[in-house]
Amino acid sequence: MLILVIAHLVVAALVPPAARRWGPRALLAFAALPTAALAWTLTRAPGVLAGEAVRETVKWAGTLDLSFAFRLDPLALLVLLLVTGVGAAVLVHGAYYLDDADAGRVGALLLVFAGAMVGLVTADHLITLYVFWELTTVCSFLLIGGVGATRAERKAALQALLVTALGGLLMLLGLVMLGEAAGTYRLSAILSAPPRGGLVEAALALVLVGAFTKSAQLPFHPWLPAAMVAPTPVSAYLHAAAMVKAGVYLVARWTPAFADVPFWRPAVLVVGLLTLLVGAWRALAETDLKRLLAFGTVSELGLLMVLFGAGTPVAASAGAAMLLAHGAFKAALFLLTGVLDHQLGTRDARELSGVARTFPGLAAVAVLAAASMAGLPPLVGFLGKEASYEAFAGDPVVLAPLVLGSVLTVAYSVRFLWGGFATKPGVKASAGQRPTIGFVLPPAVLAAAGLLLGLWPGLTDDLARGYANGYGPTQEYHLAMWHGFTAPLLFSAVALVAGVGVGWAWDRLAALRARLPRAPEAQRGYEYGVRGLDALALQLTRRTQVGSLPLYLTVILLVVLAGPGLLLALHAPTSVPATMNGLVVQVPLGVLVLAAAIAVPRARHRLSAVLLTGVVGYGVAGLFVAHGAPDLALTQFLVETLVLVVFALVLRRMPVRFTPLRRGWRLHWPRWLAAGGVGLMVGAFALRAAAARDQPAISHAYLDHAEQAGAHNVVSAVLVDFRALDTLGEIGVLAVAAVGVASLVVGARRPRRGQEQEREREREREEVPR
Amino acid sequence: MNPLDLTVVLVVAGLYTVGFLLVLDRSLMRVVLGFAVLGHGSNLLLLVVGGRPGAAPVLGTVAPGEMADPLPQAMALTAIVITFGLTTFLLALAYRSWTFTGHDTVRDDVEDRRLGSVADRRAREERE
Amino acid sequence: MSADRPGPDTPPRPRGKHQPRDRWLPGAHELPVPRRSMLLEVVTRLVFPAVLVLSLYLLLAGHHRTGGGFSGGLVASQAFVLRYLAGGRADLARAAPAEPQKVLGVGLALAAAVALTPLLLGQPVLTSAVLHVEPPVFGPVEVPSSLLFDAGVYLVVVGVTLKLLRSLGVRIERETDNGGEAR
Repeated sequence: MLILVIAHLVVAALVPPAARRWGPRALLAFAALPTAALAWTLTRAPGVLAGEAVRETVKWAGTLDLSFAFRLDPLALLVLLLVTGVGAAVLVHGAYYLDDADAGRVGALLLVFAGAMVGLVTADHLITLYVFWELTTVCSFLLIGGVGATRAERKAALQALLVTALGGLLMLLGLVMLGEAAGTYRLSAILSAPPRGGLVEAALALVLVGAFTKSAQLPFHPWLPAAMVAPTPVSAYLHAAAMVKAGVYLVARWTPAFADVPFWRPAVLVVGLLTLLVGAWRALAETDLKRLLAFGTVSELGLLMVLFGAGTPVAASAGAAMLLAHGAFKAALFLLTGVLDHQLGTRDARELSGVARTFPGLAAVAVLAAASMAGLPPLVGFLGKEASYEAFAGDPVVLAPLVLGSVLTVAYSVRFLWGGFATKPGVKASAGQRPTIGFVLPPAVLAAAGLLLGLWPGLTDDLARGYANGYGPTQEYHLAMWHGFTAPLLFSAVALVAGVGVGWAWDRLAALRARLPRAPEAQRGYEYGVRGLDALALQLTRRTQVGSLPLYLTVILLVVLAGPGLLLALHAPTSVPATMNGLVVQVPLGVLVLAAAIAVPRARHRLSAVLLTGVVGYGVAGLFVAHGAPDLALTQFLVETLVLVVFALVLRRMPVRFTPLRRGWRLHWPRWLAAGGVGLMVGAFALRAAAARDQPAISHAYLDHAEQAGAHNVVSAVLVDFRALDTLGEIGVLAVAAVGVASLVVGARRPRRGQEQEREREREREEVPR
Repeated sequence: MNPLDLTVVLVVAGLYTVGFLLVLDRSLMRVVLGFAVLGHGSNLLLLVVGGRPGAAPVLGTVAPGEMADPLPQAMALTAIVITFGLTTFLLALAYRSWTFTGHDTVRDDVEDRRLGSVADRRAREERE
Repeated sequence: MSADRPGPDTPPRPRGKHQPRDRWLPGAHELPVPRRSMLLEVVTRLVFPAVLVLSLYLLLAGHHRTGGGFSGGLVASQAFVLRYLAGGRADLARAAPAEPQKVLGVGLALAAAVALTPLLLGQPVLTSAVLHVEPPVFGPVEVPSSLLFDAGVYLVVVGVTLKLLRSLGVRIERETDNGGEAR
């Protein structure tokens, strides 16, 4: 499976050059890859459905317990079929739909996305899952934004990124919490022995938020309709068939293990049902066919959430069937819209007319796909709908919205067909070139797949039961066209009749709808949120970025005091093992060092300040000797001398006194407070650190091994042998510093004649942005 | 637990205070000196926290038990040399600032100020 | 940077009758007279070789006594600082063994080579070995491979100092000569 993912990523790199050379039709050849992946999946299907999951593990960072683990089980199989099948169809479609400029970029990204999706659904490791999850987000961003030509594209792309990445980050937090609570990041291990507890519940809530954002559930849904600015192949693949299924997939994956967590079912059901209704309601009102389908997708995703989150075998079966059905019919409908848009130049229901007569074949495919969406027999959509009524037959609270949602779904299916293909009075018949057979083929194949799955319920049932069996081996319900005269059949009929009625009469109902109080739009919420965040950031920047370096440093120091300093004060050691030995040497030296140090800030002349600092350095060297560190003292002594010389060399050119400071620049007491506080804190830290040692020093080992290194001076042995890598780095730093000094001084050369102009130009360049 | 010399602790605290005072100054030269003083303080801190005083850690002179810990010494030695490099680099920076602008003081950052005014402008636009 | 050496544009001063052929400090005569100090020149001339020998001693003895590459290099640096202070930039240019960046580079390369050589022999980076040799006069001597590493450190320190003297010393001095007074 890793090979499959890598193949997608590698082949994606070949797309742009190929598209440049052979034009968009080159994508036809690249469709072979998803087709091959589909074939591979199908060959694995019998074994997987028989209960033998295919596993693969590739170690990545072993010490961190990170590995690429993959596992193909019935649920992954379902989504994989969708991803590869629709992927192939979309690439073929793209070969006809995309123009030269877009083909390479979009084609490559679609393949990358397909690879990420394959990885996502087969990932058996939480972190792997997350990596692929975010990869799909990034693909989505790039595909929606296009090359960022229009404001609408940029806005939509940013919205999709912000919303889904926010969810993704929360999910990552949840995944890490879950992995820590379970003691393993292996997904299959967690699911087979699900952990419990408050931490786990919090983690699951975070993961649910991630799933909701990705699958455009209320109130995060607006990014999905906004994403319709992307080219149709992208919308069909990412925003109808594949990526938005990731959230549903996640819920489907986790429900068997976590359905009994108290909030899981209520949360998923409430959000899902609301999304189902709101999405369908909004879809009815759209005239842009693509947006109509987008809201329809939102609605269907809500339904899928409900079915997969319910946690019963029948609902799971229904969910699996609906997943396949939705992938097929929604992708087909999107692609059809793309064909209309491409051939006729519009996809607005108000401008299209008589298309069914112009393109009868296209209309037939559309009817087939829309019928599946409406849940008509003998299509797979009917199987799913029937099963979902059956699943909630004993639960009227869920059933009622479900049936209502179905009514609205039928209604917008009718609206879609009417808007796209009917002959409308007063609108002139649309005319355009007949699409080539290859252009119509992908939606036709997808619609036919819906028909096949419907006419062969045994196959659909096998696929669905492979997943549903995860809820328990005993399941009486089978997906079938005919169960007898049952309640679900009644509901189907009711939905159909009422839906067609609503769809037919919508134009009159629209007047009624206008009188309803307007519900708050989630899109507004998003916009307010982003704007508020912007304003907050600006205000915060204004308050904190005042441009004064000393002030920044003071704040940093005060924070150090308030954080670690406070902790240090709170955890003061009970007894401090301080001594006053070495009175003879240390005390006079200490007094000297302190006196010189205190005089440094008071010095008016640069040279005297430098000399006083030198006194501090020599005094410290003396303290090193007293401590028993002659090497250190020697080095310190020599370095101090060198520093004095270097300072003296530079000071030759600089004014004798310090530049007098403007009044008001000196904030006296906060500086003193910060500096003095940190000084005290460091002193306290020294005491605390000395008291904290409870292990013998590791340097005992150095003492033992110095002889082996051929050294008696242990410090030297540490420097050039035991920790020689440090020293190597250090001399590197020294060299860099010296080169840096040289370049700074060269650059600072005074301008002379010819350089004067250069300087002028430079000054101008500096002033331009003002 | 290792007993520690209170004098040296006081010196460390004093050096840190003076060092940060200097770093918080507006004069670049004082800032450079502040870094040097902070470097001294840190080296001393490393040494004093690392272990009690003792004989020089040279094998064959005294028993290993009476030696000072060599590891903090090696670390401090590295630190001394690095501080030297850093100090000269900062000094060159201060010098460059002086040759270019004629002073070596830290002025307020105009860019940062402008950020603030952007916030103001936006806020005004919001209100209007 | 050959410009630091006396080029053809600095004509040699006419040599006086009593001026000796060899000078105490080869470059010092190019300094203006008020900047020269005879005492300093003489002491520098006398001390310079001794200081360099001392620095080599510190480098070699570092493994067993106080010293090492850093202190050795620093001591050698002081010798060059002395030459610069006493004899000016021309003298420094004559005293320096090579261009500063070459010294730096050779030092870094030496240290890195010592670090990487064990890799060729299939050992981890920076593995050290001790070579026992017995030269005729000195008796048995142990030469650890890390001595070479220390020599690299020594060269880097000397190179850095020379570079600093070049940039902060000679450069700034030349600017003072060309650009006049400090502002």
